[in-house]
Amino acid sequence: MRLKFAGRCLLIVLVLAAAAIVAMPGSSYSYQDRESPLAPASKRHPAGTDTLGRDRLVRVSAALLLSLAGAVAASALTTAAAAGVGTLAAFGPASIGWVAMLTCDAFLALPWMFLLMIVRSALPLSASPASSAAVTFLVLAALGWPACARAVYKGALNLKSTDWMLHAHAAGLRRLQIVRTVVPNLFPLLLPQFLISIPAFVIAEANLGAIGLGIGEPLPSWGGMLLELDNSAMLFETRWVYFPIALLIAVLLLLEAVAVEA
Amino acid sequence: MIAATAVARWLARTLAIILLVIVGSTVLVRFAPGYLSDAREMDSRYGDSVRAEIAAEAAQYGSPTHLLSTELRGWMHGDSGISRQYGVPVSELILPRLAVTGSLLLRALILAWALALCASLLSSTARRPVLLWQAPAALLLAVPTAAMATLCLLAGYGGPVLVMALLLSARDYKFLHHTLRKAWLDPHILQARAQGVRTYRLILGHILPSVGPQISALASLSVVTALSALVPVEVIFNVPGLGELAWNAALNRDLPVLLSATVLMALAVTLAGLASDRPGEWRSA
Repeated sequence: MRLKFAGRCLLIVLVLAAAAIVAMPGSSYSYQDRESPLAPASKRHPAGTDTLGRDRLVRVSAALLLSLAGAVAASALTTAAAAGVGTLAAFGPASIGWVAMLTCDAFLALPWMFLLMIVRSALPLSASPASSAAVTFLVLAALGWPACARAVYKGALNLKSTDWMLHAHAAGLRRLQIVRTVVPNLFPLLLPQFLISIPAFVIAEANLGAIGLGIGEPLPSWGGMLLELDNSAMLFETRWVYFPIALLIAVLLLLEAVAVEA
Repeated sequence: MIAATAVARWLARTLAIILLVIVGSTVLVRFAPGYLSDAREMDSRYGDSVRAEIAAEAAQYGSPTHLLSTELRGWMHGDSGISRQYGVPVSELILPRLAVTGSLLLRALILAWALALCASLLSSTARRPVLLWQAPAALLLAVPTAAMATLCLLAGYGGPVLVMALLLSARDYKFLHHTLRKAWLDPHILQARAQGVRTYRLILGHILPSVGPQISALASLSVVTALSALVPVEVIFNVPGLGELAWNAALNRDLPVLLSATVLMALAVTLAGLASDRPGEWRSA
C-alpha cells in the first residue's frame, strides 16, 4: 500500500517536474541549436540534444505532458461513451441493447492497430502536428470504448436485477429517473476502466508513432522518440537516446500501479 | 437440433460482425478528412491534365455509396479488389504473406503459452505472491511492443517470435496466475492436498480441467493481442507478413489492401472466439 502511494506521489512529481521544465523561460521543444546536434549531456542540455540539436530533456518533458494529457482526455471520452452505451443497452429496449452489443463485438473483433492505421493513414497530407495529435487521441478514444461498454453493460444488468431496482420500479419511477440513480452506482466500475485505459492509450500512441503513423513533427511524442533508436550511428554517439524509453517505461509502471490500486 | 440452431445463430452473428467490419472500415476511411487527397497533388512536376485526371478519379470513386457497394459486391464474390499501390489483385499480395504471418503467430503463441503456463503454475503454488514472478511480467507489460522490438534488434538478441511471445506471456501470466491461484484455494483441492495427493496429479486431474473455460477464453484474447502486436513487430524486424503489408498500405493509402487485411484479422479474431467458448455452449445446448 505504501509502495503504491509512493508510486502515485512519484507520478505527480514527474508531471510537475516536466511542466516546470517546459514552462522554463527559453526552453522550447522545437528550438534547434544548430551548433550542437547530437551533443552529449552538458550544463546547457542536461540530457543532450537530438540530431537536429533540440534539447532532449525539454522534448521528453513535453512528450510526457502531451501524451498524458491526450491519454487522460481520450480515456475520459472512452469511459463516458462506454457508460452511455452500456447503460442504454441495459436499460433501453432489447433491440437497442442487441444492436449495441453487436457493434461492440464488431469493434472487439478488430485489432486496434489496424483500425488506428486505417484512420490515421487517411488524414490529409497537409495535416498540422497539433491536428495529427488530436486525431490520434480522438481515434484512440473512438476505438477504445467497446470493451469498457461491455463491462458497464454487465454491471448495469446486475444492478437491474437488484432489490432496490425492483422497489424503484414498484414505486413508479420513470426510466430516466432510474438511469439517473444507476449511473452513480456504476462509478466503482467506471473508475478502474478509466485508469486502465490511460496506460493502454499511452502505449498505443507510442506504438503508432514508432511505425511513423503517430503525432507529426515537430511535436514531441514517445513514438517519435522511439524512432530515434533506428539511427544506429546516433546510438554510438550518445547513450542518452535511451532516456525517453527508460522514462516511458517508468511512467507506464507508475500508471499501471495507480490503475491496480483502484 | 438445438445444437444446430446454436451453430446457425453463431454463424449469423459472425456474418453480421464481418459485414459490420466491412461497412464500418469503408465508412471510416471514406469520411476520414484526407481520403480524397493524393500525394501527386503536392508534386509540382505533374501538369494540369494529371491533376484533372486525379480530380475525376476522386469524383468517380469518392462517392460513399459507390465505394460501399463496390466493396460489398467484391467481397460477396470473393474478390477483394485491386491494390491501388501495386496495381495487382489484393489476393495475390495477401496469400503469400498469410503463411509468413501464420507461422510467426503460431510460434509466438505456443512459446508464450508454454512460458505463461509454466510460470503461473509455479507462482500459483507459492504461499504468497512472489515478486520474482510478478515483477518481470509487470515490467514486460509496461514496455511498448515497438520499444521491445527495437531494443531486441539493437541488442542483436531475439527476434519477432521472442518479442511477441514475451509480450503475450506477460499478459497471459497475469490472468493465469489469478485463475490458478483461485483454483488452488478451492476446498476440494485443499482437501486433496491435505490428504497428500501429488501435485502433478492435482494439476492434471483437477486444476487444469476446472480452469479450462477461462483458459480457452484467454487463448482467444491472446490472438487479439498477438494481432495487435503484429504490425510493429513485422515492421521493425522487416518480416514480409500481413502486418508489414498493412503498414505499407496505410502509408500509401491503399484502401483495398488495408480493408482486406482488416477483414482477415476480424475473421481470425471471430474464429478464435469460436475456439474459446462456443463448443461448450453447443454441447450444453
